[in-house]
Amino acid sequence: MSNEKRLFLIVAAVLVVGAFLITTQMENRFYYKAAYVVLQYVVLATAWNILGGYTGYVNFGTAAFFAMGAYTAVALIKTWKPPLYVLLISGGIVSGLLGLGIGYLTLRLRGVFFSIATLALAVVLQMVVSNWDYVGGGAGTAILKPRSVPLFSNYDEFLFFVMAALAVVAVAVAWLIEKSWVGRGMAAIRDNEEAAECMGVPILKIKLFATTVSGALMGIAGAPFSYFVVYIEPTSAFHLDYAVNSLAMPMIGGTTSWLGPLVGAVLVGTAQQIATVTLSAEMNLLIVGSLLVGFVVFAPDGLVGLFGKIRARLVGKEA
Amino acid sequence: MGRIIRHVILGFALLLAVSIAFTPAAHAAKEVKIGFSMALTGPLGPAGKAALLAMQIWRDDVNAKGGLLGRKVKLVYYDDQTKPANVPGIYAKLLDVDKVDFIVSGYGTNLIVPALPIAMERGMVFMGLFGLDANAKFKYNNYFQIMPAGPDPIVDWSRGFFELAKKQKPQPKTIALLSADSEFARNAVAGARRNAKKYGLKVVYDQRYPFPGTSDFTPILRAVKAAKPDLFYVGSYPGGSVGIVKAAHEIGLEPKLFGGGMVGLQYTAIQMNLGKLLNGITNYWFWAPEKTLKFPGIEAFLAKYQKEAPKQKLDPLGYYLPPFAYAYVQLLGNAIEATKSFDQAKVGAYIRNNTHSTVVGNVKFGKNGEWATSRTFQVQLQNIKSNKMSEFSKPGKMIVLYPEDFKSGNLIYPYAKGK
Repeated sequence: MSNEKRLFLIVAAVLVVGAFLITTQMENRFYYKAAYVVLQYVVLATAWNILGGYTGYVNFGTAAFFAMGAYTAVALIKTWKPPLYVLLISGGIVSGLLGLGIGYLTLRLRGVFFSIATLALAVVLQMVVSNWDYVGGGAGTAILKPRSVPLFSNYDEFLFFVMAALAVVAVAVAWLIEKSWVGRGMAAIRDNEEAAECMGVPILKIKLFATTVSGALMGIAGAPFSYFVVYIEPTSAFHLDYAVNSLAMPMIGGTTSWLGPLVGAVLVGTAQQIATVTLSAEMNLLIVGSLLVGFVVFAPDGLVGLFGKIRARLVGKEA
Repeated sequence: MGRIIRHVILGFALLLAVSIAFTPAAHAAKEVKIGFSMALTGPLGPAGKAALLAMQIWRDDVNAKGGLLGRKVKLVYYDDQTKPANVPGIYAKLLDVDKVDFIVSGYGTNLIVPALPIAMERGMVFMGLFGLDANAKFKYNNYFQIMPAGPDPIVDWSRGFFELAKKQKPQPKTIALLSADSEFARNAVAGARRNAKKYGLKVVYDQRYPFPGTSDFTPILRAVKAAKPDLFYVGSYPGGSVGIVKAAHEIGLEPKLFGGGMVGLQYTAIQMNLGKLLNGITNYWFWAPEKTLKFPGIEAFLAKYQKEAPKQKLDPLGYYLPPFAYAYVQLLGNAIEATKSFDQAKVGAYIRNNTHSTVVGNVKFGKNGEWATSRTFQVQLQNIKSNKMSEFSKPGKMIVLYPEDFKSGNLIYPYAKGK
């Protein structure tokens, strides 16, 4: 194992342990709930970036993968109420398979046509779920979360810890992909798909890998959603916010590295949480919209790219 | 060195900004804080804003009399954007950061349920605003819901419609059921389905239409017309209600009784839009300016509301939600005064065990915190001659037919005669 990899894994482990230690020290539930939402966006933005940023296929259907994870969990909870880790794995498998299937069907489409197909997927699945009475249909259903959980004083703290761990795992997956030959293949596809194919990059396999991993991570992020919100119905599970935010966050942070979605999700997610309880809903949307427009126009490589440029200029000056 | 200091200062500035954003306002002494989330934007935004205005009128009324037990009332609220996912975080902030003394719900079942487990965990009294059987799974004994749907809300909602139908000669035999594919409408029609069975009616049409997303109702209503039902019970939301009424007139659909669970017909803007098309429709209602519904304080409240509502571009008459939004905080305030306590258990027990006089009449809670007996009115719209607002602000237009205790006129039957 290289030193870089070892350091990354140590930092990841420290963050997970840190998240657990926080739950032993802090009681204020608001911070857990707010942090849960931000961390959920770290997972979603990172997952989106594996397909959208690394491979260059813009996915507008984040809500579909997220909601499939959530509704897989709801179906299981209604059937035999398994422990949370089973819900996470199942949500990941179902959304991963959905990603694989969608990959097969749609990856011959490129650019805006692929994006429209993913958006349509969300609409179609919302219709299906709305008519699936077992999981509440269009009316929705209330989900009772477990009253207690070992090692944690309440379920909110546990959900925060789980989402923190998932965020670390998602970023680690993105990092590993980025550093591997698969990541380089993805970058080649993003830059010029024909050229990549001519050079021997297995583009179909890589693209299917990207849709599957991206979908699976989104599904895992959605699996605990019903326990978080307690009442799940299709409108909120398939909300366009998930698609917009998971796209905007990597755009703002930077799409070419694992750090971009992380930075974007933490900054924008936190700003949204603060705006929700201090300013107003309109301000909340205005923040995302203004940041997105501003970054697309003035810093298309996101914050990470912007800092890279500033650093390069400073280093250049010193030299 | 200069750069390090700059970084340190920047770090502190950021820390300060974050802590200011999350720090509650200084805890003003002698203030009773009542916290809630409210849909101020999103699909329920207009109704949520009207509810907020009603609550603010109550706050001002109470504070003008010296507050609750000598402490001024302060409302602490955040916009949930009509998104259930925002609700848990908002209530956690209200309780853990703002340190509110009491919590009440936002508007609607979808936005009440996510807050209920939080109220349960903290043992807080939780007043609900227009939730339909929201407590069915939780069975929390300190939850009290102000909409007068009754102990078995899904069935009670449409009971009056069927009671009216039963009394007609010859007695209707068939019914068509139509609902929007969403929570309230489906529940309302599920109740109607059960009532249809109980009253021995044959269901000749039973369909849902996609919600949101349906704008043309003529094909659906043609299918209903082809089934030739005696009764037509509809569970719909405002946009659908308007579309269904217009389409029914367009194709000449004339069942003997038409309406039931159509949301929106109670809103002034929709009443002014539909005008004479509303004549003859029999629908659920919560309050109308009829002589039988002059509850203590309702007129004084509506006068204040109607003075302020046009400035905020809210429902100008405010007969549907605002009186109940006033009542659910009024009831909580009265319970605090009566028990002379801010103790959640004492206040909860008082609300549970007593009958309460409010601007929406006497309220007694029963099973699952719903009204002990249903008081969902069935109203028939009659004698509407124009689209002017004044048509709907006087008695004689929204005739209360059920329950008998509040009856203010007679049903014009069949629907075609009242049209």
